[in-house]
Amino acid sequence: MGIVIAVISGKGGVGKTTTTANIGLGIAMNDKKAVVVDFDIGQRNLDMILGLENRVVYDIVQVMDGEAKMKQALIKSKVNENLMFLAASQTKDKTVLDSAKIKNLVEELKEEFDFVILDAPAGIESGYEHTIEFADAAIIVVNPEVSSIRDADRAIGILDSKSQKVKDGEDVQKHLIINRVNPAMVESGEMLKCDDILDILNVPLLGKVPEDRAIIEASNQGKPVITDNNSEAGKAYKRIADRLCGKDVKIPEFVAKKGGILGLFKGMFK
Amino acid sequence: MLTKQFSTQVCEVELVNDDEFISFFEKNYGLFCNHLLSIKGEISAKVESFLQQKGYKYIQNVELPKGKLKEGLEKEIEKVRQEAFLERQELEAKVAKLSNKLQQNLKVMDSLVRSGQELKVDGDLLLLNRVNSGATINVSGSLIITQIVEGSIRCNGDFMMLKASPKANIVFHGVEVDNDYLKDRLNRVELIENKIHITPVLKETNWA
Ligand SMILES: Nc1ncnc2c1ncn2[C@@H]1O[C@H](COP(=O)(O)OP(=O)(O)OP(=O)(O)O)[C@@H](O)[C@H]1O
Ligand SMILES: [Mg+2]
Repeated sequence: MGIVIAVISGKGGVGKTTTTANIGLGIAMNDKKAVVVDFDIGQRNLDMILGLENRVVYDIVQVMDGEAKMKQALIKSKVNENLMFLAASQTKDKTVLDSAKIKNLVEELKEEFDFVILDAPAGIESGYEHTIEFADAAIIVVNPEVSSIRDADRAIGILDSKSQKVKDGEDVQKHLIINRVNPAMVESGEMLKCDDILDILNVPLLGKVPEDRAIIEASNQGKPVITDNNSEAGKAYKRIADRLCGKDVKIPEFVAKKGGILGLFKGMFK
Repeated sequence: MLTKQFSTQVCEVELVNDDEFISFFEKNYGLFCNHLLSIKGEISAKVESFLQQKGYKYIQNVELPKGKLKEGLEKEIEKVRQEAFLERQELEAKVAKLSNKLQQNLKVMDSLVRSGQELKVDGDLLLLNRVNSGATINVSGSLIITQIVEGSIRCNGDFMMLKASPKANIVFHGVEVDNDYLKDRLNRVELIENKIHITPVLKETNWA
């Protein structure tokens, strides 16, 4: 029986889809079976980041409606065969979702995979509520700025009141990823500090991902950045996936790169 | 005129039998050597020389002003005690009544109040966690929050205790409180004669 993790953020564009793809692949690289599911009905994205957009034949709504078998709709990753992908419907909108059908779908995936990762849509409307409804855990993705934190806070509040697990009197596990950390801006005080974010949200930190151009390049190529061993973001996602698989991996501080020997020393001592 | 007042212990004794008297004060010398003996009756030469030899101070056939007898005093003390006890009981009952009322309506919470959540409390609230931006607290009674407030607060009670909260939106009895006045670690906000009073309870440490 696998674990269902919803990747949520409240605010749009903070990196849910990027995170879903990279974590899914990272887990697969740990020899665990993972499936990433695009719950952003009507605005699918995950297929592109995985470089699988031309392989989609059947989507999640067709599986839920019984028009297609799960086996037919699951698409294998080009990079790692432990990772599967289930696409969102592009033609229908999120009103087609229905709790009973989602439950069936999630249960079926749990039987098959160690990790079922659901990429939530932005916002906190019905599409979001359906994504978290049957989740065992949530990964909350934020950017270090106030509006992202506030929207994430809102999303967590809904998670804590509307998910089935909470209704059953259990806890939904929560993990925080701070994405697009720009060390220079944190140092200069333009961005919220990690400690302040943790104070406000009261969710344990799973990892930090730095701002990295390699992510945009990776998306364009349809190869998640985690496959790029030289990129800081790729390494960060690798550590996060390892932690999710139970490995004890430290969270390093990102330090602004500065010219000269002073900057180097600062980096070493932090 | 200069007067001095002393209080000294007096032992009143009736002298009937010389030998009995002498043997009593011989035996109990330690007890009575610092007393003033007030002797009723005739003092014989024998008794007189005994008293002098022992160094007893005495007076003879003098009517001393009398204080109260031990039993009378005790009765009086008992009466005062009883009254004080009753009064205290009455007070305690009053306090218990008040605090019962408080406790019945006092809600104590330790959960973070998140954006989008609205907490409505009919009565008093003690909150031991943060109020995040976008969250609302609405209490009909008094309010104490020990962590920072970044959301909205509506309070209609006797008082509020709040930390310095520069981002909070606070309305107390329908009046918006300027949070520039909430400077210190803990501030008491109360309505006195239709005016809002803000008093620091715990001051910010000044390291300078
Ligand atoms: N760490 C990063 N460094 C640089 N660019 C990033 C980083 N993370 C995400 N991005 C970019 O930000 C944009 C939004 O990312 P993504 O699509 O993953 O967000 P999302 O939360 O899924 O958005 P939506 O809410 O629209 O679904 C993308 O263009 C992505 O390449
Ligand atoms: Mg997305």
